[in-house]
Amino acid sequence: MQIDDLTREFLIESQEGLDRMEHCLTELEVRPGDAALLAEIFRAVHTIKGTTGFLGFKRLEKLAHAGENLLGLLRDGKLDASPRIVTALLQLLDGLRAILKTIETEGTEGDGVDLSLIASIEAMQSPVQQLDGALPPRAIKSAPRKRSARKSAVPKSFPLAPKPVSSPHADPPIAVAPPAPASVRPPEQAAESATLSSPPAPSAASESTLRVDVALLNRLMNLVGELVLTRNQILQATSGDAGMTILSRRLDMVTADLRESVMKARMQPVSNIFSKMPRLVRDLSQALQRQVRLEMEGQDTDLDKSLLEAIKDPLTHAVRNALDHGIEPPAQREAAGKNSEGVLRLRAVQEGSHVLIEVSDDGAGIAVDRVREKAIERGLLSAERAALLGERELLQLIFLPGFSTAPQITRVSGRGVGMDVVRTNVEKIGGKVEIDSRIGKGTTLRMRIPLTLAIIPALIVHSRSRSFALPQGALSELLHVSAEEDTPAIEWIDDAPLYRLRGKLLPLVFLDRLLAPASHPASDTGHEVFIAVLDADGRRYGLVVDGLGDPEEIVVKPLSSALKDIGLYSGATVLGSGELALILDPGAIAQRAGIRMAADDEATLNTGTEKSDVASSEEFLLVEIAGRRAAVPLGDVMRIEQLPARRIEYAASRPVLNFAGQLLPVEDSAGLIEEALSRQEARIIVVVCRDGHRQVGIVVSHVLDVAAGRELFEAGKSEPAESVILLKEQVTGILGLGGVPPLPSDTSSWSSTPAVMQ
Amino acid sequence: MNLRSKATTEKAKTASFADVCSVRVGPSLFGLPIRHILEIVGSVLPQAVPLAPPFVGGLVHYRGDVLTTVSMRFLLSLPPLHAPQAILVLESPGGAFGLLVDSVVEVLTLAESDLEPNPATLGDACKHLFTGAYKLKSNLLVMLDPEGLDPLRLSTAQAA
Repeated sequence: MQIDDLTREFLIESQEGLDRMEHCLTELEVRPGDAALLAEIFRAVHTIKGTTGFLGFKRLEKLAHAGENLLGLLRDGKLDASPRIVTALLQLLDGLRAILKTIETEGTEGDGVDLSLIASIEAMQSPVQQLDGALPPRAIKSAPRKRSARKSAVPKSFPLAPKPVSSPHADPPIAVAPPAPASVRPPEQAAESATLSSPPAPSAASESTLRVDVALLNRLMNLVGELVLTRNQILQATSGDAGMTILSRRLDMVTADLRESVMKARMQPVSNIFSKMPRLVRDLSQALQRQVRLEMEGQDTDLDKSLLEAIKDPLTHAVRNALDHGIEPPAQREAAGKNSEGVLRLRAVQEGSHVLIEVSDDGAGIAVDRVREKAIERGLLSAERAALLGERELLQLIFLPGFSTAPQITRVSGRGVGMDVVRTNVEKIGGKVEIDSRIGKGTTLRMRIPLTLAIIPALIVHSRSRSFALPQGALSELLHVSAEEDTPAIEWIDDAPLYRLRGKLLPLVFLDRLLAPASHPASDTGHEVFIAVLDADGRRYGLVVDGLGDPEEIVVKPLSSALKDIGLYSGATVLGSGELALILDPGAIAQRAGIRMAADDEATLNTGTEKSDVASSEEFLLVEIAGRRAAVPLGDVMRIEQLPARRIEYAASRPVLNFAGQLLPVEDSAGLIEEALSRQEARIIVVVCRDGHRQVGIVVSHVLDVAAGRELFEAGKSEPAESVILLKEQVTGILGLGGVPPLPSDTSSWSSTPAVMQ
Repeated sequence: MNLRSKATTEKAKTASFADVCSVRVGPSLFGLPIRHILEIVGSVLPQAVPLAPPFVGGLVHYRGDVLTTVSMRFLLSLPPLHAPQAILVLESPGGAFGLLVDSVVEVLTLAESDLEPNPATLGDACKHLFTGAYKLKSNLLVMLDPEGLDPLRLSTAQAA
């Protein structure tokens, strides 16, 4: 539909005004008498009314007029902003929005009549008339008449400068309102409003900002991408010339700055979507009869505009879920000894190249047992498999399609689509979701969103001498399979290649075979390959490639639709070398190769191939100490450090390690430290383990692998042996951490190593 | 066709001229009206795309974007040329694409009176690709239809 520029300007401005109004309305409930808030709301409605008269939108004008009357009374203190009135004003807001939407799509305001809405808004004015006898009905009516007279003056100056005119024509009290909040409010209230909204912003913001077409920004981004590539080539070409090198360095710096600035231009604060939440929470908590306080944090965290759009739905879903399933009804909360008012916390924080968005509530939490029951009941998981999963793993099941633990379906949620949608949407943009819950304490949903879609971290892999980019987001680990290994690392069940990863079978996809099905040389696993273990849409598999390149930050370029239809590539990119690389889509590859969802996949694998006593198996870190194999329970391993042998110091002739300000005893029965000191490289590997409340270090020669162990029974005993375990079909001793002597407590016996003394 | 009747009735008196870029593919010469050409890029080696439709000649890097190319050699059932080729960047409704040809020869100004429509005997496969031919002194210059070469068109034609 054709809309002229003036109308479009009006639409954008009105929508922004209404967004602010919504904000203020939800806040008004907390501070019913706040004059600045009322002024802001009044201004939004008044501006709309003023402009509609000029543009000839009669329906909109009538509705705005009714609202303005009510708001006038509120502003003048003749009426208090009761929850009922706020509800009516929110309805007014929805009504105005609906008409604006119609204008946007159809060009006209539609034929609807808002009589009932207007009537309900007018009804709100009446209590005052009954209560306050000093205010005759006429006085109320005269106010709007005065204002409509003023309105007729507006059009004259409108065509020239529609934007600034609207506020000078507002009532005097409004004109002085903006600076008020800063000076009038007590400090703590001002701080609160700073996190929720910034009332004085609109006028100031319009002077220092301007609207830019997103398409133009995209074009800028493209050009910068090209500049980056040209720069790379210039850097290579001029590396021999000293004079040019200085120039190209400068070009390099300017390009990097430019790229960053253009990316920043696409960023918007998350407050753009957070600001929709107070209204949602208000409406939902009324509908569900919950008492909820919404806390928001980190609203100025920036995110790419397209990503912001993409997480709007998941965030809404998450908030709904938190209110419906998380926070309990007030009575129930009080019975549980909690404050009857629940807290819903939205938090955004930037972590490196990601933005973390958390939705947490202090509600009932998720009953893991119920998740397990439901999963089995719905056939998403076998009972045997369910028994093996840890609590955290079980919780992630709620992201599976068709999963809901809600006893009944409510209007708000419980149909078992919400969390599935959350995960799908977030993973689509390269993000990740996880959930944490403690029964009785609450639930936290975390979404990790990449800062921008245009540039993503990726690993370059090679297959048949071609380069491909693999998004880092889906990558969980890399494995090297050398050709010389005695036992074939890749095993086959008929046509399906599998890899034993820590005792579990991982389905494999050969990239070269997937991409060139015609040239299918039967099992040529003679050469060394690399396996990239991927997690995509809940599917876990290994992608077999010929070689690994460097990790790179790649600029994603869209593919033409003829190539999009292939379905395996999410885009293409130009590498630093100038070579083009296709970006692989891990989810699509899994689908093409027929990899199933991890949960049921693993279930069948376990019942099929590992009939033995899996439940008692624990994972161990397999290490070698001076030629002897030994095992450490993986759960006890905190980290593995490689450090110079000189770092080991001695206290009372016991080796200790001063690590990050903490001292830990080191076990070195095989004398590896001395041996390392005598050699040139003088580096040792220390496995830092947890032993009860203390930490100990164990010096090892090599770290071999992580494997599931099987318990061994000594002949004639029913208890499993404690100090040995069957690892990779070899009996292996378990290192007794308790055997490591504690740090000497008697300081007098310490040797004179100064580093330890201080 | 309209052009032809114009040519026979008005002769060369008020004849209009067209600027045509001539390209070589295999043994023959082809032409494209230069107003459809955004840019000519010489000597590129497109990167093959596994599993792509056969008419796709690969991807090339063009002005910060990744351009899909259409292999003229495939469309003419000629064997692929494993050497750098030239690309005509053409505008299409689905975005720009590249036409992969052996080499670009020259830009000619030709009288539209010399344009003859496709012969009725032309095979179905080529009918949608050609719009006619200019009679040059020594040989024919077959005019290509930019619309018919659009990868979107080609992939729907292939699917049908």
